[in-house]
Amino acid sequence: MPEAPQTSASPSAVTTDKPQQFLHTLANGLTLVAEYIPGVRSAAMTFLVPAGAANDPSDASGAASILSDWLLRGAGNRDSRALSACLDSLGVQRGSNAEAIFSRFSASLLGKNLLEVLPIYADIVQRPMLPDDGFGPAKDLALQQLDAIEDEPAHKLSILIRQRHYDYPFGRPTTGDREQIEALTAEKLREDFRRRFTPRGAILSIAGAFEWKALRAAVEASFGPWKAPAPVSASGNPAPRGTHHVTQATNQVQIGLAYDCVPDAHPDSILVHTASSVLSGGMGARLFSEVREKQGLCYSIHAGYHSFKERAAIFGYAGTAPERAQRTLDSFLIELRRMAKGITQEELNRSQIMMKSRVIMQGESSSARAGSIASDFYHRGRTRTLDELRALIESITLDRVNNYLAANPIKNITLVTIGPSELTVARDP
Amino acid sequence: MLTFHQAQLPNGLDIIAETNPAAQSVAIAFMVKAGARDESPEVSGVSHFLEHMMFKGTAKRSSEDVNRQFDEMGAKNNAFTSNEVTCYWAQVLPEFTEPALDLLADMMRPALRTADFDMEKKVILEEIALYLDRPSHTLFEALMADHFEKHPMANSVLGTKDSVSALARDQMKTYFDGRYGPGNMVLAVAGKADIAELTALAQKYCGHWPHVNVQRAYPAPVLQPKRRHIRDEKLKRHYIAGLCPGPSAQDDDRYAAMVLSDVLGDHEGSRLYWALVETGLADEADFSFFPHDQTGSFMVYASCDPERAQQVEGILLEELQKVVKDGLKDDEVERSKIKIATSTVLQGEQPMGRMRGLASRWIYNREYRSLEQDLEILESITTRDLQNVANKTSFAPMTITTLGPSAL
Repeated sequence: MPEAPQTSASPSAVTTDKPQQFLHTLANGLTLVAEYIPGVRSAAMTFLVPAGAANDPSDASGAASILSDWLLRGAGNRDSRALSACLDSLGVQRGSNAEAIFSRFSASLLGKNLLEVLPIYADIVQRPMLPDDGFGPAKDLALQQLDAIEDEPAHKLSILIRQRHYDYPFGRPTTGDREQIEALTAEKLREDFRRRFTPRGAILSIAGAFEWKALRAAVEASFGPWKAPAPVSASGNPAPRGTHHVTQATNQVQIGLAYDCVPDAHPDSILVHTASSVLSGGMGARLFSEVREKQGLCYSIHAGYHSFKERAAIFGYAGTAPERAQRTLDSFLIELRRMAKGITQEELNRSQIMMKSRVIMQGESSSARAGSIASDFYHRGRTRTLDELRALIESITLDRVNNYLAANPIKNITLVTIGPSELTVARDP
Repeated sequence: MLTFHQAQLPNGLDIIAETNPAAQSVAIAFMVKAGARDESPEVSGVSHFLEHMMFKGTAKRSSEDVNRQFDEMGAKNNAFTSNEVTCYWAQVLPEFTEPALDLLADMMRPALRTADFDMEKKVILEEIALYLDRPSHTLFEALMADHFEKHPMANSVLGTKDSVSALARDQMKTYFDGRYGPGNMVLAVAGKADIAELTALAQKYCGHWPHVNVQRAYPAPVLQPKRRHIRDEKLKRHYIAGLCPGPSAQDDDRYAAMVLSDVLGDHEGSRLYWALVETGLADEADFSFFPHDQTGSFMVYASCDPERAQQVEGILLEELQKVVKDGLKDDEVERSKIKIATSTVLQGEQPMGRMRGLASRWIYNREYRSLEQDLEILESITTRDLQNVANKTSFAPMTITTLGPSAL
């Protein structure tokens, strides 16, 4: 098997007090990435399988989401209850859900139990029972979820803004489409499982307390035999974008907006992260300070970066009373457009220390590290160490950030609002 | 290696710290024994409003200074208000221990300027509106009010649009003066820190604070369980919540109650999960234990299709009665104990994970329990202990509040 330890230290040196990263690709295409963290008893797993909402069958939006429930209703020789009892007995704190690109399985546990837990997840993705009597409830819950979203306008907005902004199928909601879910059959979903639950493009990420050789051998033993077809790729059709309003009798007007920026693997993405931190990184950031603190226009206002491999956007949110909504949107846009004029050295200094401090604090959490190196591998095909991240943050200069911002003014904003009345986007001055 | 330290300043300010030389960061918090339950009706919402005002500046710092200086340290920081406590916290790298403590301590002596007060009132009113768009929050507030009635635990943390609109700056100042001082608060620290250094810094930045003498009122709850349905035709889902008495934060039964709540209501593999979520009858079904100061509650919650309202409520209550009538099984109790033990160990690896428990235990009981002691107590809990807790409350009668589009 090809093996590429990413540090010069020998993999057996797990007794050193430095974190170490490892990478191993199985013959079937599954990638194992791992970070040994000294001094912890925990281990965390992030397992990404390339079956997400974006590659749900064109007539079965919501399929990945229902699968993420159905898969846990029995696997290998354990039925639903036995599977759950087994994970509980090993103290596994866990979650599973479908995202746009992947189905995600995450788990936190004591490192000493890790090797016992891996075969259970191998059963879940390779030998699920997908029982007939579990399909009805899983589908029913997916339909109930669609109703629940109607009762939570902020949640509804977060789905709509992605749908309007990202090219199809990247903005497809994981929660799916009501009519298509209603029409879905157990047989069709089983077929979908066989087509999409594949090791090619899957990423298994482990961080915390483990012994590398034993981990690698256990992963080979449990996941090596996993055979499946090549993953389904998704290609984009243009998104509707523009301005969209949903009339609903809410207490607050929900304002969501989005605009493009470079994806995470692009060398300039660190400049976007910096700008995003200046805009919305802490309580001293521009949006919070200018719109909430100085004008008292809203309680909640923020903007954040989201990236796929080849497309990315900043998503902004504010919620406010109908009578203040237009002023809130106007002030929001003023702050976004002002970014093209650049940031100050003080703002850069603050962003750098904030980003560096987040990186160091992330090192205290095995689950944060497991998620982070899995994401690194998806975007870059390699993992980054905390030291590399620190050096990257230190390398940012004011000129680079401001040149980027001047060359990439915020434009073509997608706007979605939910509330009693519509808002308008003032034109660029 | 976690080590506990305790110190007290001459003015009575308690300092507690659980230090961990291997940690990369330090979490620092001031927890004040002041929350919605300490408010009289005419100042409803003042504890939470005051929490916001503490970020609006001091004699020597503007609101912008406060927020900017946290950012300059790369701090993760925030505050929260509950029915029982208000807590201000910051997590920073160890080299920022002094500036973080300086800033947090200065915030504890706020300017409470009228112009800031008027501006922040608008923000609070927006926060109230935000929660009005969340049915589970609306239901929870109504349930607490129905269950506790005249007892202070019935008080709303946010207050109402009317109560907050009517609040005056001087009422807030009076509330602040009576509660924010040594004698009614603790400085709690977890992570990489040194107790001698912390004590010296606390003396430098907090040594001049006047001591406050205040006693929280502990009226006995007079519970008259009842049920109420709130109709909101705009909603798509039906929401059910119920409350009954449970052990308090001082009661030795609280550990067994915590395990019981996992057996019954954890999101994965609990009794309510199998009965309601796995079957697809309800998209959420929870059972939680809330140990309050000198009283306590168990809460049950579910959301479902409106046409399944009666069926789901019936199963919910029946599952609780099964525990009283048919008892608990050793294997389910053991599994819950393992889950909680693992979670305790995982939390112990992060300063923020330890800080909140550390501070609230001190505020309620002036007590410290190490991670190992917690694990030992957990290990000693038996199925019989859980059964005794369940039999004591018997989950009946229960205050039940429901919210949904139907008339019922």
